[in-house]
Amino acid sequence: MQKMLVRLLPFLVVAVFGLSGCVQPDSQFGSAAKPVAVAKKVTGPVFKGRVVGKSMKAKTISVQVGKGKKAHAVLIKFDQNTDGIEHANKGHGVIVSYEKQGKDFYAKSIRPKLAKMPKGTSIIQTADLKKMIDNKEDFVLIDSRPAARYSQSHLPGAISIPVCEMQELMGLLPKDLDAALVFYCGGPT
Amino acid sequence: MSPMSAGQAVQAGFKNIRVYLDGEPAWRKAGYPTYAGYGFICQGNNVIVDLRSAEKDAVARIPRSVSMPFATFADVMDEIPVKAPVVLYSDKEDEMLAALKMLRENGYKKVSLVEDGYRGWKHLGGRLVKGPVVTEVNWKRKLAPGEVSIAEFEAAMEDPSKAIILDVRTIEEVKVGKLPMSRHIPLDQLCSRMDEFFATIDGMSKDQDIYVHCTTGARAEMAYKELQKNGYKNAKYLVAEVSCELDDCDIEE
Repeated sequence: MQKMLVRLLPFLVVAVFGLSGCVQPDSQFGSAAKPVAVAKKVTGPVFKGRVVGKSMKAKTISVQVGKGKKAHAVLIKFDQNTDGIEHANKGHGVIVSYEKQGKDFYAKSIRPKLAKMPKGTSIIQTADLKKMIDNKEDFVLIDSRPAARYSQSHLPGAISIPVCEMQELMGLLPKDLDAALVFYCGGPT
Repeated sequence: MSPMSAGQAVQAGFKNIRVYLDGEPAWRKAGYPTYAGYGFICQGNNVIVDLRSAEKDAVARIPRSVSMPFATFADVMDEIPVKAPVVLYSDKEDEMLAALKMLRENGYKKVSLVEDGYRGWKHLGGRLVKGPVVTEVNWKRKLAPGEVSIAEFEAAMEDPSKAIILDVRTIEEVKVGKLPMSRHIPLDQLCSRMDEFFATIDGMSKDQDIYVHCTTGARAEMAYKELQKNGYKNAKYLVAEVSCELDDCDIEE
């Protein structure tokens, strides 16, 4: 029975990907590629999500939280006592530790929400990628963002495989499983 | 998104995978060029700039190109709206890179190049057109969902029956000046006092058209989302520079 499950696993994983779409890219890697990064512990209530708005004048950030149909933005106030306001940049994932004051939310601290890396992959920095491109190294650079974003502005030599279309477009990747691949998107979210 | 794609490549059996987590924004910030795709060059809501000489431009150019020869580019580039996505091309790589740098240093955030410039476009088999050069930039931003156009907003200023104009700037900003017919609630109070605030407006309903503004559109967009969340489904927001002195306000793209 166990053997059977092991054999079925890849298919189950594919099925999960097929259904999951691209709403929460950092939460569903399937069972064979468990997230390895562990978030630091925080006490008290937190909002986790993507910053969708920030106003220094109103001292407010708006963070998209929840998944699928439950997704909504919360408006959170901050002030000079808020730690890490520099991490609240539009489009970036954050973990906001907050307290409720009346109907309002006040941010106590804001930390970047690091993307969880699938096992067996590593991170590459700007300078190293630049070197690989300049040296014309043999690798495939893949832009995972929606096609429209790729079309507006992409890195030199990149091909477009939006994350949601990965299964259908897998054929664009080399046949050789030892080929070097570099994936990128619109920043750590 | 990229870690998830990388995860799928792991599933598919690839063994040599890296993720450039900082992504396209970091690449741009490091000053490196980015490139536009074929579809965006053909049909995007953008400004295509030909940095070659006007003579070359007249003979053959990418459709919709505006002629801004590199020699005078610094003098004319501010004719391009700063929010417009810009695609540059030339037959000289160093000119493209220099013009890209100039634009980015001047606050243009969406600038990309035609890969390998004019030659690259021809190599791709891209369409070319000829004829008298076009020097006038004619770009209008397409409205995002929930956005109200300046024209519609101004029409509501003339005729208050059209919509409630909601100012979400701070009390200090409003002291300097505000639109005469607008109603004011600072963004940071909107969530906690929304119902109480709207209760003071005669005939207010959740179907009411509400046009929100601030000084740029950032706060207005947040307010718009809060209003939508609370069932004010006809709320819209203005993305424009609004500056006021007493009851005299300038509204500019």
